[in-house]
Amino acid sequence: MKKNGIWKIAALVLLAGDVGTVTAWKISSLFTVRPGAFQPPSDSAIPAGKFGDIVRFGEQIFRDPGTYARQFVGNQLRCSNCHLEAGRLGGASPMWAAYPAYPAYRSKNGHVNSFEERLQGCFRYSMNGKVPKLGDPVLVALESYSYFLAKGLPTGKTAPGRGFPALPKPALTPDYARGAKVYAQNCASCHGADGLGRSSGDKVVFPPLWGPQSYNWGAGMTSIKNAAEFISANMPLALGGTLSVQQSWDVAAFIDSQVRPQDPRFNGDVDQTRKKYHDSEYSMYGRTVNSAVLGDPAFTPPSRTVPAGNDTGPVDAD
Amino acid sequence: MRQEGHRRIWVWTGLAFGSLMAGLSQLAPAIGDQASIAAGYRIAVNGVSPERASCASCHQQNGAGQPDVGIPRLAGLSSSYIAARLEYFATGARKDPVMAPYSAMLTPVQRQAVADYFASLPVPPQPDLVQAREATLDRGRTLFLDGDYRTGLLSCSQCHGRTGLGVSNFSPRLAGQSADYVAQKLEQWQSGDLRDPKGIFMRADARHLTQSDIAALAAFVSSLGGKEAGKP
Repeated sequence: MKKNGIWKIAALVLLAGDVGTVTAWKISSLFTVRPGAFQPPSDSAIPAGKFGDIVRFGEQIFRDPGTYARQFVGNQLRCSNCHLEAGRLGGASPMWAAYPAYPAYRSKNGHVNSFEERLQGCFRYSMNGKVPKLGDPVLVALESYSYFLAKGLPTGKTAPGRGFPALPKPALTPDYARGAKVYAQNCASCHGADGLGRSSGDKVVFPPLWGPQSYNWGAGMTSIKNAAEFISANMPLALGGTLSVQQSWDVAAFIDSQVRPQDPRFNGDVDQTRKKYHDSEYSMYGRTVNSAVLGDPAFTPPSRTVPAGNDTGPVDAD
Repeated sequence: MRQEGHRRIWVWTGLAFGSLMAGLSQLAPAIGDQASIAAGYRIAVNGVSPERASCASCHQQNGAGQPDVGIPRLAGLSSSYIAARLEYFATGARKDPVMAPYSAMLTPVQRQAVADYFASLPVPPQPDLVQAREATLDRGRTLFLDGDYRTGLLSCSQCHGRTGLGVSNFSPRLAGQSADYVAQKLEQWQSGDLRDPKGIFMRADARHLTQSDIAALAAFVSSLGGKEAGKP
């Protein structure tokens, strides 16, 4: 307890030294609860009865979708790999901040999305899986869990801690070679030098960052900006805020320049798909890295690979 | 171009197969070289100097350690993990007045042999220890599996796995480890001790624990894995 107090004083001293809000956020994220972050209810507050059962099911899916939503999951990722502390941690896209932000217009698909439709997108892209139909028990459970976490938050306002903390632009253009070095020094011992993740027993513990078992080219994390923001605030695990701004951008560029499953919106032509969906300085899709074009179907694993026997045909909503 | 495409598919298939095999090999403990295991056995049981006790005199020939007095169990840890710790002790990268002189007596090859020997052993059955209270185990389970978002504590399972089996040379197996040992180490990290170059993660996370949390976690991880003997 006493130690915690000392850290807080240290953070305050640094704040007084005019170090800007980003650094202040980072310092506090290192040592104590993030400032201004909403405190979602804990599991013990899940009510008894049918609704509580579904909330609990939602949390189980969230922590282990490969078991509890197996028919929709096409890779080895879990929701909680990026939405840390099972969607409760501010600055790691907490579900309590996402829930009151919908319905909302999304430029990604050009219409107003319900929260449930937003969840469909996670399965389609981040989980490289199949999309559950609207009203599917899996979506209802995830929505119930998110609703439960958001207890007391107003709609029409962005909750502090939503998404990832903004990160200043880097001094130098993000660079693959510098990123490779940052990766080797700070990331490889958990995620593997090959980026394919690592397991404890037969369970994947450190998620694959690229390769056939990672997020596909349609996922938000393929944006170097998103990845840099997430990494800066949250990685390495327990040591968020320790990489420099430049290192965060460089390593994000390195990770998002690797081979990963195809964008499910791929229309057969990499250039056209880039123009339509990846027309951004933050996407490496369609760019040439190590003399290969990212997204080239010749060596890009397919999208929507769910476990054998679970392929019930496409149920995409969009 | 088409030919090239096919070649790439094969390369990709090969990579996928390679990673599958690498994954499978992680399921079994590092078998190591049989000769090295045999050499490690001799060192572990007889020591390398008549002046000094052998590894087995504290950690037991079966690698069970002495859980009630905080001497860690070595069976169940990976060979590369044990070998790296012996090197840290020997070079002083990890300060340990007990282990340092023993490790320094061994050559790198001997350290590897000892590591191969202990890693080759089946996980021994857990002794009957005084059971922690149910509420303590519940608290430990919650912290281990879920962490505590209010203090920023990340769950132990994020690195050690939900069943506490650890990840090869990175995070050690905790399931069934001596509660006294686990508590001692958590306290060391909490006091800011780095212990070894890989300790940065534990030092950062342990900061968020209270004394009673440490006791609860230690009790919980030592209870993991049941009583059955088995390979890690």
